[in-house]
Order: sequence, then structure tokens, then C-alpha cells
Amino acid sequence: MVGIVIVSHSRKAAEGIFELAVQMAGENHNIVACGGMEDGGIGTDAIQIKNAVLKVYSNDGVVILADLGSAILSSQAAIELLDDENMKVIIADAPVLEGAVSAAVQAYIGGDIKAVVEAAELAGHTSKLC
Amino acid sequence: MGIHARPAAEIAKMAAHYKSEVILSVNNKTANAKSLILMIALGAKNGTELVLSVNGEDEDEAFEAIGRFIVNNFNEV
Repeated sequence: MVGIVIVSHSRKAAEGIFELAVQMAGENHNIVACGGMEDGGIGTDAIQIKNAVLKVYSNDGVVILADLGSAILSSQAAIELLDDENMKVIIADAPVLEGAVSAAVQAYIGGDIKAVVEAAELAGHTSKLC
Repeated sequence: MGIHARPAAEIAKMAAHYKSEVILSVNNKTANAKSLILMIALGAKNGTELVLSVNGEDEDEAFEAIGRFIVNNFNEV
């Protein structure tokens, strides 16, 4: 199953989005929350993100959903920190909450990494107000 | 409540079990039922007429299972 890493500046935000995504996908998931700094403060940390990626990594790959600005930069740095440059890790260009929920369901139903990224990105291209 | 997030997730998970194409329509909008986001975007409210279309080799089983889930009001109380 494709792994999903939820990156936020806030630990509480990452954990809340994780909770919602798991509720949608079901117990048998491969998702991890990665929010805030080691001391609990607001921020993102490339090392923590790298470790989160490794935690859910398999040959199916990992999709990262990140919130704002430096969450993307830290995620990019985390990917560069991976020892093996052939590892399949993609940052989805998607809103973190809607993208994570959409990606979680897609990963759960057996989508490959491309399908999971597409599901996440679709969340950013779809009107909420219908 | 209509097709809100939880039933949409359940329908997507059910639809993914089948090889057939599964489409939900509301008014003039259609959505691939294997996509959570597209189904939520239908904006189907409670009492709206839903059309379930299934096309493929296992269409009968898919129609039966997903149709039952919808008719049972998404198993919600």
C-alpha cells in the first residue's frame, strides 16, 4: 500500500488530519502524521519528515501532503536526505486536509503512487461549493 | 445528509472492489464512484434522486452491493 505522510507546522494539525484520514480509509492504513518541531513548537523539520517517510515506505512508494511554505521546503529537503535516490517519494500539489483524505482512500483501495497523487491533487481542483 | 464524506469513502471503497465502471449521477452531474472527491463534489443532498450506473463484467454484483448500500441510506441511522 502506498504510504502517506501528513506534514504540518503544527503537531495538532497533523494529528487531527491523520485522525480524519484514518477514519475515512479504515484501520488498515499506512499513514503517518509529522507535525511541529521536536520540542513541540510550530515548524517543520526535514529529519523528522525523512523518518516519517521511512516509517511508511515500501516499494509502492510514499506520497507527502504538506501544509504551507516551508513544509514543502522541508519535505523536499527530507527527500534529498534519503540515502537511496531511487526511492519513490512524491510531494502532492494539494491542500493538506482534503488531499490527505482523498489520498488515504485511494491508497487503501489499492491505487498506485500515481493514482494516489492524482486523487490528492484532484481535491485541489474540485469545487467545494458544487 | 446526502453523500457526505463518510458514505462517499465507503462507496469508493466498495466500487474499487469491482472491475466495472461505476458512475453516480445527480441532476446533470456525474462522478466516478471510485473517487471520493468527485462524489463529494456532486453535492447530493438528502432526498435527491441518485442514478447508479454500472458497466462491466461484474456489473450485477457491483450494482447489487452499492445499490443496497445507497438504498439503506448508507447504513446510517
